[in-house]
Amino acid sequence: MKIGTSLVQYSIKRPQMIIARSVAGAVLIVLLAALPSIWPEIFTFLPAATIDTDPENMLSKDEPIRHFHQQRKEQYSLHDMIVLGIVNKTDPNGVFNVKSLKAINELARYAKELTWDDPEHPGKQEGVIAIDIIAPSMVDNIQPGQLGEVKFDWLMPAVPTTEAEALAVREKAARLPFMQGTLISEDGKALCLYIPISSKHLSYKIADKLKQKIATLHSGDEYHITGLPVAEDTFGVEMFIQMAVSAPMAMALIFLLLLYFFRKLSLILAPMLVAILSVMYTMGALIVSGNTIHIMSSMIPIFIMPIAVLDAIHILSEFYDRYQEHKDQEKAILAVMDTLFVPMLYTSLTTTAGFASLALTPIPPVQVFGIFVAFGVMVAWLLTVTFIPAWIMGINPESLSSFGMQAGHEAEENTILTRLLAKLGHVTFHHSRLVMLGVMIVAAISAYGISRITINDNPVKWFEAKHPIRAADRELNQHFGGTYMAYLEIAPTGSLPDIKTTRQEIEKMFESAPKAAPVLDTLKQLLEETAGKAQTRAALFRKLGEAIDSRLDTASDAQYDAFDAASLMVSAASQKDELFKQPDMLRWTGELQDYLKSMGSSDGGVLVGKSNSLVDLVETINRELHGGEDKYLAIPDSSAGVAQCILQFESSHRPGDLWHFVDRGNAENGTPAYRRLSLWVQLKSGDNRDMAQVVRGVDQYVSTHPAPIAVKPAWFGLTYINVKWQEKMVGGMLQSFIGSFLVVLLMMIVLFRSALWGLLSMIPLTVTIGLIYGFIGLIGKDYDMPVAVLSSLSLGLAVDYAIHFLARSRELVKVHGTWRDTVGPIFGEPSRAIARNVLVVGIGFLPLLAAPLVPYQTVGLFIAAILLSAGVATLVILPALETLLAKLIFKTEKANLTCKCGTCLFFGIVAAALFGISIHQFLSTGLNLTAGLSFGIVLIFCVTCFLLSKRKQCNMEE
Amino acid sequence: MRYHITIIATLLFALSGNSSWAGDSAKEKAPDVDTIIKKANKVSYYQGKNGSAHVSMTIKDKDGQTRVRKLVILRMDEAAPKGENGAEANDDYCGEQKIYAYFTRPADVNRTAFLVWKHLDKDDDRWIYLPALDLKKRISSTDKRTSFVGTNFYYEDVSGRNIDADTHELIETTKDCYVIKNTPKDPASVEFASYTVWIHKTTFLPIQTEYYDKDGKAFRKYLALNVETIQGYPTVTKATMSDLRTGGETTAEYSDVKYDVELPEDIFTERYLRNAPTKYLR
Repeated sequence: MKIGTSLVQYSIKRPQMIIARSVAGAVLIVLLAALPSIWPEIFTFLPAATIDTDPENMLSKDEPIRHFHQQRKEQYSLHDMIVLGIVNKTDPNGVFNVKSLKAINELARYAKELTWDDPEHPGKQEGVIAIDIIAPSMVDNIQPGQLGEVKFDWLMPAVPTTEAEALAVREKAARLPFMQGTLISEDGKALCLYIPISSKHLSYKIADKLKQKIATLHSGDEYHITGLPVAEDTFGVEMFIQMAVSAPMAMALIFLLLLYFFRKLSLILAPMLVAILSVMYTMGALIVSGNTIHIMSSMIPIFIMPIAVLDAIHILSEFYDRYQEHKDQEKAILAVMDTLFVPMLYTSLTTTAGFASLALTPIPPVQVFGIFVAFGVMVAWLLTVTFIPAWIMGINPESLSSFGMQAGHEAEENTILTRLLAKLGHVTFHHSRLVMLGVMIVAAISAYGISRITINDNPVKWFEAKHPIRAADRELNQHFGGTYMAYLEIAPTGSLPDIKTTRQEIEKMFESAPKAAPVLDTLKQLLEETAGKAQTRAALFRKLGEAIDSRLDTASDAQYDAFDAASLMVSAASQKDELFKQPDMLRWTGELQDYLKSMGSSDGGVLVGKSNSLVDLVETINRELHGGEDKYLAIPDSSAGVAQCILQFESSHRPGDLWHFVDRGNAENGTPAYRRLSLWVQLKSGDNRDMAQVVRGVDQYVSTHPAPIAVKPAWFGLTYINVKWQEKMVGGMLQSFIGSFLVVLLMMIVLFRSALWGLLSMIPLTVTIGLIYGFIGLIGKDYDMPVAVLSSLSLGLAVDYAIHFLARSRELVKVHGTWRDTVGPIFGEPSRAIARNVLVVGIGFLPLLAAPLVPYQTVGLFIAAILLSAGVATLVILPALETLLAKLIFKTEKANLTCKCGTCLFFGIVAAALFGISIHQFLSTGLNLTAGLSFGIVLIFCVTCFLLSKRKQCNMEE
Repeated sequence: MRYHITIIATLLFALSGNSSWAGDSAKEKAPDVDTIIKKANKVSYYQGKNGSAHVSMTIKDKDGQTRVRKLVILRMDEAAPKGENGAEANDDYCGEQKIYAYFTRPADVNRTAFLVWKHLDKDDDRWIYLPALDLKKRISSTDKRTSFVGTNFYYEDVSGRNIDADTHELIETTKDCYVIKNTPKDPASVEFASYTVWIHKTTFLPIQTEYYDKDGKAFRKYLALNVETIQGYPTVTKATMSDLRTGGETTAEYSDVKYDVELPEDIFTERYLRNAPTKYLR
């Protein structure tokens, strides 16, 4: 308290210096942040602002799934894709008309050219990966030609000149399982181009160029661009526009509301400045410290502003009510600060604790967000207790003569707010039981709502329903197999035999082969030599084959045949390890694909519209080789048959496509090719919930329908990555929420020197959070990233009101003697401050609802809802409880916390639980160890508290 | 450009059995471009009246993973049997020919066979036999610029591109090579805008070929890595085709190269697809 008073006094004495320094500091840090971004070549020693809109970065860089995703993408040469759909609603044949196909062809050719030198890797190109584009002019068609021949050619070698030719393109594509539902829509009306790009960070740029090209086409078609990379990159760009529009709009509205309440422009500039300066300090610090501006950190200003304004409003409200009492700025502000300093410090500390606890979640952007909001809150607090008193001192006293509540209580009666609050005080006092019954009912409904919460997120749904990306998403997923890509890798669980076993296996093979008999001794000798040199089974097969072949040149005719037969045997033996050339494995994979397609989502829709694999490729070739008869749309009966179909596929324009579906193997570690298979799964929805359901379904399928050789499924691809970080986020958020709840509870026990008061202060926030999340559950809104983060905001804001209300009621009870006599005054100025706060900040953030980005809408709506329910909860539940518990809580208190055995013990238990949660999260220790440690701490507290409370000084004070 | 020429100069030291390539040839006036092209076509695809070779093709991807395909190629010039004294009589012959390709490794494509009747004035006839499916199929060959069984070579690289499909221009004469730029007459039918070939002055073997896109950027490159003189014919025995975009490349190595061997003409018929002429495939 003393430090507080001197801090305030210091500011009052030097108002100009405080104001000048606060502003100068903010300007300086913003310059430090901005200059290296504008002139990076001059300010090389400072980090430039970097923008990171990649949800993948929700996971730490060394997260195993990210590593796996990256590694497999390279292994299968897969790239993130821009999905460009073309729909024609006027032509009865959809886009399969000359004009549309001409435009599509032009667009595909244009897309192919979208590459340029990679500025970061000289000599390399970045942009569109031309060879992997899926477009009618760039994929192969295979079909039976005349006289039983097989014909391989481009699906659309040239732009059709007649309508019949245009329709032929459709007919050809519809026959190819690879194309149906992927390149052309199931209804045969629409076409989809898949444009792979070297980095997903280029997707906005490339999508933008495509849009410019589309604008010149005038083909009468609808063009839709979507795909996760575009959605994520576009979000990043629009996020900044949003920051530049919504945040100032919110500020403007808060300003108007403040003006309405306090009617003094010079005065209300102060909280506005505090908010702006806090944001400048925080964002400046964020950039200067080298952190990226992520989807999460872009929301920092929106979180800091209400919190910064909050305390300032308490001061203004109090000053407004008390000024006429003192008629002296210095006296009034000192009196106000004397009353408010401790509650404000605590409210800021609790808010800080709430956000700082996010640093314990395992998600880096959330950690950065938590830490910097916490930092911003403390900056705001410091400015509130120094800048605002200084500012008030600078105001011309004459202009304040008509300011504030004119003559105490009589004037109060005149405002609606005052009357309403007085009435509320009356009701809560006289009908406290009824109020509590109501709270119970609300709590029960909330609990039911929470039980119905669905955890789900989808970056495409971060855009409003009417956004072009959402429209494209709806339109294309209605026509096609799905625009959300996930990849399912199937790999054997077992490993290959070692060199020794392999050697024995080959020896037996030679001995039992009559063809090899003439040269058996030489073969055994070669086997011995090569087995000594080979590191792996695959290498042994290869080296042995080479060694035998080298004998062919000098061999006699009889020996030639024997060596040749032996070499062939070795080659055949090595190919048995090529798992996904085996017909039974491919058939099993085909069945898995059928299962994928049969999966239904919770609302009865289709989950997986399409999956492509080596199976489709081999089956199609087999059918066309057999004259296109549908009964041959099947896997051949031998692995050689499979291999020979693949050989045909490899004789196409795009043999490299094969390796998107099957692993090439690795000579270094001895993995043969065809041991891992990658399924390209197209989901209709990017909802994490749906992806998670597919993952579970596949796991279950694989365990109930085991493959001929045991395999394990593993997922990668952006759609799956999103599920992984969501899982981390939900678990992490819950733990960090419990952690910060306990921290705040501890602080409250210390503040009020009582476990009971501490618990009491947590009630409004508990009810608020229950209500908010119950509401989310009831209306069916998904628990997504912004909703998860809002729990920390609720924690920080809701406890504020409780602290102010309880601290003031305890103080006023001391003045007025009993709670009964306090109800009137507590529903005067203290409640008005809370109510003004709710109205100003809550309404102030409603402009966010106009934002085109859903996370901002969510934040705006829920800040308002949190403030409203926290305010109501505080003003209704706390007085009702205080009425009910008056005898218990307003008795004479022991001065020292440690003298109260119960409070001390409770404190200990909470501290132990907090320790348990934090340690568990940090070290990921087993639950048993954590529980044991926590229990130990509780025991220590038990003993200590008992001993402390039996001290002499405790008894004496009583 | 200078860099490539250095490579070729170094490479040419590897030429064996040919002593006339260096020296005073630089003083000679270059023959006209059509003559150079015709000679290059002749030595690349029409040496002797027929020939056979064992080919091992190693396909290497950008990560260095390799796959090997082995095959035996038999070749016969259509006009050869009609010639009076073997190869000499058909010195200028660059016409129709028949090619039989028989796969031996890996085991699962063993006995797969191709038969090509190469025509100059119409599409080639092409058949394939797939033993595991016991399927003999005629394959449409309108487009020859597709991968040759998954390698970086195209069918057209193996069978030879029709010299009339391009216009040729001698753009440079270096110490050892004629550098010729070839522009397709029908740009829509091919994936390149032009290609440049370095033809060795004395052997007329194409030593290097680069394919360019419409921005003039090379995206595909052929390089002869080893040349031997076999039965008097300079022969490329090792060559590589690189895809500069994907970083993949295929190296073809030729062994047991023989010219003017005894090859009955009926080997080059559909009948022999199913029943390989093993005697001639050793």
